[in-house]
Amino acid sequence: MLDLQHVSKHFSGIPAVDDVSFCANPGEVTGYLGPNGSGKSTTMKMITGLIEMTFGRILFEGKPIQDDLIAYKRRMGYVPEEPYLYTHLSGTEYLTMVSQLRNLPQRESSARIDGLLRLLSLHDDRHASISGYSKGMRQKVLIAAALLHNPDLLLLDEPFSGLDVSSALVLRSLIQELAARGKVVLFSSHELDTVERVSTRVVILHRGKLVADDSIAHLRSLMELPTLEAIFSQLAVEQDTGSMARQIADLIRA
Amino acid sequence: MPKPIRKLIARLPLTFRVLYGQFLLRVIDLEALSIEADIPRFLGQFAGVLIMISLLQVLGALLLLGSSPAPAAQLVLAWGKEQSLICDMMLVVGLIAVVSWDSIFPDRRDVMVLSPLPVRPLTILLAKVSASGAIVGMSILALNIGSGFAWPLVLAGSPGVLRFCPAYWFTMVAASLFLYCAVLTIQGFSALLLPRRVFLSLSALLQLGAYGLFLGAFFLLPTFTDLAEWVSPRNHRILAFSPPYWFFALFNQLNGSLPPALAWLANRAWIALGCAVFGAAASLILCYLRTMKKTVEEPDLMPRAGGLHWTPRFGGPLQTAIVLFSFRSITRSRQHRVVLAFYLSIVFAIALALTRTELTTLALRPLTPEFLTPTISMMALAVAGMRNVFPLPISLNANWMLRVTQISPSHKYLAATRCCQLLFAVVPVWVVAAGLSLSFKPWYQVLEHLAILALLGCFFTEVSLIGFYKVPFTCSYLPGKSNVQFAFWGSVIVLLVLALSFAPFEMQALGDPFRYACLFISLIAATFGLWALNRHRARSAVLYFEELPDQLITTLGLSSPPAMAEPGHGPITP
Repeated sequence: MLDLQHVSKHFSGIPAVDDVSFCANPGEVTGYLGPNGSGKSTTMKMITGLIEMTFGRILFEGKPIQDDLIAYKRRMGYVPEEPYLYTHLSGTEYLTMVSQLRNLPQRESSARIDGLLRLLSLHDDRHASISGYSKGMRQKVLIAAALLHNPDLLLLDEPFSGLDVSSALVLRSLIQELAARGKVVLFSSHELDTVERVSTRVVILHRGKLVADDSIAHLRSLMELPTLEAIFSQLAVEQDTGSMARQIADLIRA
Repeated sequence: MPKPIRKLIARLPLTFRVLYGQFLLRVIDLEALSIEADIPRFLGQFAGVLIMISLLQVLGALLLLGSSPAPAAQLVLAWGKEQSLICDMMLVVGLIAVVSWDSIFPDRRDVMVLSPLPVRPLTILLAKVSASGAIVGMSILALNIGSGFAWPLVLAGSPGVLRFCPAYWFTMVAASLFLYCAVLTIQGFSALLLPRRVFLSLSALLQLGAYGLFLGAFFLLPTFTDLAEWVSPRNHRILAFSPPYWFFALFNQLNGSLPPALAWLANRAWIALGCAVFGAAASLILCYLRTMKKTVEEPDLMPRAGGLHWTPRFGGPLQTAIVLFSFRSITRSRQHRVVLAFYLSIVFAIALALTRTELTTLALRPLTPEFLTPTISMMALAVAGMRNVFPLPISLNANWMLRVTQISPSHKYLAATRCCQLLFAVVPVWVVAAGLSLSFKPWYQVLEHLAILALLGCFFTEVSLIGFYKVPFTCSYLPGKSNVQFAFWGSVIVLLVLALSFAPFEMQALGDPFRYACLFISLIAATFGLWALNRHRARSAVLYFEELPDQLITTLGLSSPPAMAEPGHGPITP
């Protein structure tokens, strides 16, 4: 279980994430939602250990992750929001490097890399430089790198970004399959429809604070709203979207 | 800026001015060196260095002012100095052509950004040419700002200076224009005639080739100070194919002192200048008409299943990953390649300069300190150069992967970096030194020297790794870190002095088994001691991936306690 306890992150004294607490359990998919700038990616980076939290604790299977960050990293897979990759390497070279950095046995990792590249339709371009890859292909490389070591905790920050329809459908099923196999899956996305289909629970963040943490079904009945989109709009969207659209149209006409 | 120039600039079309400003800052691409690369500051520093060289030349000229050597000595001085000034100018412009490689041609980013906008290709071309021209012009001006007046005065005296001075400036501009345009012509026609992918691969090789050629020519071309040498059939070939001599003749033709026997060299300069300018103009225009379309039409990705994809192993998986990553970064990143080539070229230039006379004799001869010195200095400088290249990041944003996969202790990363140093700096230099040693005898002394050299390589590697808790090419690099450059140049001087002092000592040891054993054991002990120290310190160190400005300097320590993250003593986060 991944357990965040009163986690906060301040940048120059300004809270980006403020006293956030929630749990992500094995066997379920936890959707992590929030508008742009709400602190989702900052939370993800704190969970990965990329940035340090200002206050609070993050526990994985009951132990603070900072106690043995190396052991924790061995069991964690992460797909970041932006597809930052070493673009001078080919897809195979990049994944091989990741497997070596994770100290995976060579034979096993070669077979996994080959299999993942095939299943993710990257096999034909595996020796081409990543600099030539499309956004979707780069996203697939990130997904493959996160899965390579069969992690127990999977952190997915906007994993559907740039993927085509069929790849997105595969990933959706994959997330559910991995959760069914007992892994902890935490993923953030702006595609509310996908989150609604995939997630067991959702955590909603607004201006760095937690505004909802419950199962989707319970939130629906509690708030008497039919969809996750309606729930999200009520909790985290401040502006009148129709009025905003009209203002933009008026502005460019002027 | 003077008002008339401002008025003139304001009359230029806005699109041109905007593009010119953008291209001027991208003539030398520093983005890979720093996420906040301060290009105007870099250009300012570069101009400062050139002005300093020019002022040193003025100092040399002032020392000669007032002396009246004999006519023969005057001629030797004049011809030697003229060749030296022309060679300096051509080297500077050659280096600019290398570091601004491809910058004048439209790259994929330009095409994708500018093509959808209502901007004519001709405007882009003119803006790029003007930006490159401004950099070359600035370099000509900076390098000759003092020497361009002082030396004509010394060489011609007050009556002849009115003719000498314009001749000097014209020659400098012509030589620079020739070299820059010749590089553009070769690049342009390669881009036009070759498929884009082949061109991109060849371009990298051409860039390195040009670099080697310019430096090699600078260090190896002899200086002819006697007319007999100029007209000697023995030197005809070297004169016919070496542009610095053509422009030397052009200068003398313009100032009216060219012997008729050398008129053919001046004619070569005129023809070469014309061909280079015409070739550059033609290739640029054709490139902008054809290559821009080709760049858009080029598919983003071509399957590349063929070829050899063997990956060697270097120890454990982590070591292999980091060595291969470093090797691929050096060989595939243009910026890293150029910076490394810069350092290595200094190393080999020194070696060539020192061994030129030693290697001219073909017969086997005994080892001398004059041969040992360059091999030792080559080794030291190669390690220092590589150490200077390692901190330059590649795709800085992508280093998150190394951070989330950091499951091995820090000393293993240090071991991987050590392996990179040994493979990319020590082994190549040792192989070159071994090759050069073949013409020396006795063989056992040569072997003894090579063993010492290998140990010195390991020792220098350990010295270079003190406090280096980074993975090569993954840590941010603060802009304006002039202290790094000063440290490098300081180490060059110190290492040369040490090599000069060590070589006679080693020479004595090579002839005395007891001394040799002492030297050998001392070197092993020193290397092992440093290795153990580095390993011990790395065990408790934390790898860092971001360098931050010194808080004590930026805040004067007034708002926060002086505690700050030091390299290797704690993680640094933004």
